[in-house]
Amino acid sequence: MKTNNLILQTATKVLVFIILLFSVYMFFAGHYEPGGGFIGGLMASGAIVLLLIAYDIKTVRKILPFNFIKVTATGLLFSAGTSAGALFFDKPLLTHWFTYVHPPLLGKMSLHTAVLFDTGVFLVVVGVTMTIIQTIGESE
Amino acid sequence: MAFQMLLNFFLAFTWMFLKTTFTPASFLVGYFWGLVILFIFRSYFSERFYLHRVIAIIKLFFLFLKELVLSNLSVLKLVISPKLSIKPGIFALPVEVEKDWEIMLLANLITLTPGTLTVEVSGDNKTLYIHAVNIDDVKDSINGIKDTFEKAIMEVSR
Repeated sequence: MKTNNLILQTATKVLVFIILLFSVYMFFAGHYEPGGGFIGGLMASGAIVLLLIAYDIKTVRKILPFNFIKVTATGLLFSAGTSAGALFFDKPLLTHWFTYVHPPLLGKMSLHTAVLFDTGVFLVVVGVTMTIIQTIGESE
Repeated sequence: MAFQMLLNFFLAFTWMFLKTTFTPASFLVGYFWGLVILFIFRSYFSERFYLHRVIAIIKLFFLFLKELVLSNLSVLKLVISPKLSIKPGIFALPVEVEKDWEIMLLANLITLTPGTLTVEVSGDNKTLYIHAVNIDDVKDSINGIKDTFEKAIMEVSR
């Protein structure tokens, strides 16, 4: 008998976005507060796992038509790119740079190249976790 | 559209509570990240991504402004021309839009077009009766209305 997952699926429809927003918050909190790319990425993949529990692998594939191996590769590219970028400015590898900008409406904002590095970490974590889960889930 | 927009607002407020900064700037940042997440998950919803509709509404608004200026210019031309060489008449326009507000919007936009004026909507909401200043170019005006206004309205409601 196929059970009806209506309650789970409807709750998921809102919960997934709250979890994802929290993962974005965690990602940006990384510089001044606890958080960062790793925990943010895990949280984001946690949200996708919730989707996987509420629906099935095929539906989630349709919702997120990403090849998660490529997501991992993009993340590695981000991290390698930002660490190698310092070499172009005659600085040692992994040297980061930051500045403060004052965009209209948003107030004081700091731009830091470490965020790009963290984006790489985020993408690698999401990609690796989702690849593991999807590979295990699909094998019979 | 309403659900996605409401969810986006809700996410923006969630962001403010996570950050514990209750400023418009924090709301904007939260709204932006909610929008990004909703965009990534756009095929999760049965409706299309709601920003498309918002853009369509803005386009319709600018179309309205443009037609308003053009119609006033053409009326000015009619008024100041020394000879009154017009041929008024009423023609029927079959409409494809179905909802009440769409027909209302279409009728009002037609009224603002140069040289046309909506007189009545038929009982079954399928035909608009339009008064034209120059009845000679009925075909052109039907096609023009269909191409611009009806398409723009359908873009919003689709």
